[in-house]
Amino acid sequence: MSQFRVAGRGRINSGRRVRFTFDGKEYSGLEGDTIASALLANGVHLVGRSFKYHRPRGILSAGSEEPNAIVGTSRGAGRYEPNTRATVQEIWKGLTVTSQNKYPSLKFDIGAVNDAAYMLFSAGFYYKTFMWPKAFWHKVYEPFIRAAAGMGVSPSEPDPDTYASRYLHCDLLVVGSGPAGLAAARVGAEAGLRVVLVDENAEAGGTLLSEPQAQINGQQAWDWLAAELAGLKAKGVRIMTRTTAIGYYHQNMVGLCEKLTDHLDVLPKDMPRERLWRVRAKRVVLAQGALEKPLVFHGNDRPGVMLAGAAQTYLNRYGVKAGHRPVVLTSHDSAWYAAFDLEDAGAKVAAIADTRPAVRGDLIAEAGKRGIPVLLSHTATTTSGRLRISSITLAVVKDGKTGPETRYACDCLLMSGGWTPSLHLFSHTQGKLAWDENQNTFLPGFTQENCGIAGAGRGLWGIEAALADGLERGREAAAALGRSVDAAPVRVENDRTGTGVSHTELPTRRDAGKNKSFVDFQNDVTAKDLRLAVKEGMRSIEHVKRYTTNGMATDQGKLSNINGLNIAAEALGKEAPKVGLTTFRPPYTPTTFGTFCGYHRGSHFEVTRKTNIDSWAEENGAVFEPVGQWRRAWYFPKAGEDMDAAVLRECRATRAGVGIFDASTLGKIEVVGPDAAEFMNRMYTNPWTKLMPGRCRYGLLLGEDGHIRDDGVIGRMAQDRFHVTTTTGGAARVLNMMEDYLQTEWPDLQVWLTSTTEQWSTIALNGPDAAKLLAPLVEGVTLTEEAFPHMSCVECTVAGMPARLFRVSFTGEIGFEVNVPAYLGRALWDVLWEVGQPLGITAYGTETMHVLRAEKGYIIVGQDTDGTVTPGDAGLSWAVGTKKRDFVGMRGMARPDLVAPGRKQLVGLLTEDRSRLEEGAQIVFDPNQPIPMTMAGHVTSSYHSDAVGRPIALALVAGGHERMGETVYIPMPDRTIAAQITSTVFVDPENARLKI
Amino acid sequence: MTTTLSSRHPGVLATSPAVEVSLAEPRGRLSLRARGDLTPFARVLGFALPERIGQRAEEHDIRAIRLGPDEWTLNTPMAAVQRLLEAFAAIYPDHPHSLVDISGREVSLVIEGAQASDLLSIGCARDVEAIPAGEGRRTMFDGTTVVLWKDAADSYRLDIWNSFAPHVLDLLKTGCAELAAEARQA
Repeated sequence: MSQFRVAGRGRINSGRRVRFTFDGKEYSGLEGDTIASALLANGVHLVGRSFKYHRPRGILSAGSEEPNAIVGTSRGAGRYEPNTRATVQEIWKGLTVTSQNKYPSLKFDIGAVNDAAYMLFSAGFYYKTFMWPKAFWHKVYEPFIRAAAGMGVSPSEPDPDTYASRYLHCDLLVVGSGPAGLAAARVGAEAGLRVVLVDENAEAGGTLLSEPQAQINGQQAWDWLAAELAGLKAKGVRIMTRTTAIGYYHQNMVGLCEKLTDHLDVLPKDMPRERLWRVRAKRVVLAQGALEKPLVFHGNDRPGVMLAGAAQTYLNRYGVKAGHRPVVLTSHDSAWYAAFDLEDAGAKVAAIADTRPAVRGDLIAEAGKRGIPVLLSHTATTTSGRLRISSITLAVVKDGKTGPETRYACDCLLMSGGWTPSLHLFSHTQGKLAWDENQNTFLPGFTQENCGIAGAGRGLWGIEAALADGLERGREAAAALGRSVDAAPVRVENDRTGTGVSHTELPTRRDAGKNKSFVDFQNDVTAKDLRLAVKEGMRSIEHVKRYTTNGMATDQGKLSNINGLNIAAEALGKEAPKVGLTTFRPPYTPTTFGTFCGYHRGSHFEVTRKTNIDSWAEENGAVFEPVGQWRRAWYFPKAGEDMDAAVLRECRATRAGVGIFDASTLGKIEVVGPDAAEFMNRMYTNPWTKLMPGRCRYGLLLGEDGHIRDDGVIGRMAQDRFHVTTTTGGAARVLNMMEDYLQTEWPDLQVWLTSTTEQWSTIALNGPDAAKLLAPLVEGVTLTEEAFPHMSCVECTVAGMPARLFRVSFTGEIGFEVNVPAYLGRALWDVLWEVGQPLGITAYGTETMHVLRAEKGYIIVGQDTDGTVTPGDAGLSWAVGTKKRDFVGMRGMARPDLVAPGRKQLVGLLTEDRSRLEEGAQIVFDPNQPIPMTMAGHVTSSYHSDAVGRPIALALVAGGHERMGETVYIPMPDRTIAAQITSTVFVDPENARLKI
Repeated sequence: MTTTLSSRHPGVLATSPAVEVSLAEPRGRLSLRARGDLTPFARVLGFALPERIGQRAEEHDIRAIRLGPDEWTLNTPMAAVQRLLEAFAAIYPDHPHSLVDISGREVSLVIEGAQASDLLSIGCARDVEAIPAGEGRRTMFDGTTVVLWKDAADSYRLDIWNSFAPHVLDLLKTGCAELAAEARQA
């Protein structure tokens, strides 16, 4: 047992011995220790350097609010975590802990020169210091700021851990398992509610863990707690420890981060490291307690300076004395009990200095009983000790004047400036805060959410008061859900109630302008900085915060915000509520990116949709490309082929024989009902009334603005039934748009839409041999020009499978699209592949599809259009029914801008030097004009064309349709390329090849 | 996840001590859309269509679930599909409606066991425990639209479009492994 571990104290003394390292040195602690409690048990207070001045820093608190004791932890490759709070992280065998912000070592740090040069680093110093000369910005200032910015070292390896997430629904969520939370949960459970009780600590109990002296209903506090927790579990309450409520979102959605493995020495297989819970609770009770405020005085940041409540927790919960000879400096009764507990545990309290002129008689008597010197009306003016506090200088304050100083030797200083209700989650609800004059702090006011605040979180003090309030909030929640329950009041003896006063910076007889009285320990913001910010014109607390960075560290100002506000308000000569409090934002405590990502990483990052034929493509070496959520076969390289070679072979084989293509991703919508044709007339630009069943038509869909939205071939399967196809990426969008019109504009139409995209596997066969290949397999229709001409559709069987057969072409060759129920897709493909072998059947991917269609001037919506292209611009005026009364986009098309001359129009381009243009390249009319040149358009599609024997391109060019044969220029970084404007149809303009 | 599920044989796909995920036998699926008087459809089906969204009705292994104000899905034996298509076609002239065969569109995963609800909670934002057994909901699982059929307190079915099913299954497998790890831990 180390000399700081106290026999018979704490809850972990029976725990196993656990060895870990800190900055390479081995230490031992007990199972259940945090890094902080274990280091304190070893007499170590110095755990890090501060961010700006590199001042030595120790352990300030015993919880998640810790601003100082921020360390790196590691359990091996990829599992290094910077900025871990030593006061929260439990130790385990083999844990490696390193201090941060130090070079070359924690005890001797070069960056500490910043401390001596502190006058340079005052508030807003970035804004002032790095202004001139301007040329220094890139090479000197920015690298310096970047090197100095940020805490800790970012992990550089991929994280091997996994993260999880779940949804949870309950009637009552209680945040915080101290007395108030326990009481609320009990009432909820007794009322028959589904109750969830969460606590960020490893153990439930909150304050009760640090106050074993209390007697609750005649039972010792810890015995009562154990029985209470067992009772709650028996009543079905879900108790979640190591679980932080990180955010309170709309309609009682509370986010929880549950840490599952960070405390274990062996990681269980398949166990995620952390789990994000999205809890939807009918009622919430926030019982998060209060955070102790530091006192602000010169030298209040030395290692060994600790919040008094923290020292009490270390002693009573972990059995660790913060020091042998503490001084207590306080403005609140609570710290007196810390002094008593430590004295009783064998420490020698050098003095209790209270800022107040009068203190409760029983406290004075208890101090006297223990022989502890009491100093009332005292202030602290400085401390000493390089790596750990060795003395504090105190002085009496009389009539507003600070008297002579006396130095008190000590090995730790326990301070308390009173308590601040933890308002973070309440603040997330957009709840209104109310200023409490007596306590000089904000209390929760009104919130829109179904939420109650219990206990110290709303300024109550003492276990009995918290329990009573928790019962009341629980009753309130139950009543709101229609349940009533009687809960007997709970009686507490040895309760440590108390009050205190609030201070800004403590009075001093020294030059306050030179004081280093820290307010924000993590960001090194002093009281002087805050006053300077006000002096330099900051009026709102939001500006003061940004100028000084007060409250902007990873602790979100849990300890510094209220002190910062009070000091700024004093400097402004205004009341605190007039200056306001900055907004708290989720998460409550630092949360890993892993928690937010959850399962969505690696192969599960996003849905990858695959067709039923995808497996064939994979087996046959396809290279894939993403198209929307789909992955599609891009090309099928043979051994030794690159993409260009493979695409050239696929194009050539399709134009010479037969190519096979998986077109299953095309969107499909079944439009059925007596008004189907009328609906199609209204949606699409084309006329549909006269389209006979068994025939297809190219359909063009516009937005209300007259711009092209989608296109596809549509077959009329029967009088009242259309088989609509859409682009791959447009499937969901088009269905939504159609449903929107149907439900809001034309609810009178008797027509219904059903997505059939995934009902069908669609295989496209294209090429002069396509009919030859398919004909023997088809029953129900003869594949001749007469019986089944181009743009026909029919229900038939193909290779014995029920099919919808379309004669359509996106290549300019004889083309068929065979639709079979999706689960038969692979089987049909295999049959066609086998039957096609004598014909040299060639599988092609999306790239070849793009080339073949571009050679024919068929557009791809979204590539050759950009949301501003009209049918006229795209050369598709023929697809617009001129005799139609109305359709979506008809009036938009008549807008002046859409009929004005000089619009960008789709044309073909052939380069003079036969080079392939870059898609997206800008086009100009005059290459010699001064820069910036006037852009005349851009290249939308560009490929090498085997059929044409040179590269071809499609482009949108201003007034392009009137410029046939003209030369345009494409300036590139290294040269300017000249190209001739041509028709968009490069191959078989007569469509002779479509004929069987 | 390379293979699509519709080409796989029905059977167990993932297990955990208290929950099992399996691929259901292929079933016929028809999307029925209709408004107004529903009795003609009841005559064809042999039972009345459910009236409230989420409600189900079943007779002779033909199950109907109401998904919207004018939308039902019929889940039938494969062999019944053709008969139903013809029977509905016969009443179409007098009672216009839309009946579309979507048997090929979806697969169904069965999730059964004491922790079935827990497993669903990794991807479904709904309070699945609050859905009465014998009802169903169109909802989302891990960003994917699914139809959730609750057959009993510990037995669910998910209808999922083919191309989304591997993604859903992938997460369910992860979830099973996670629940198994928890069981070992406890």
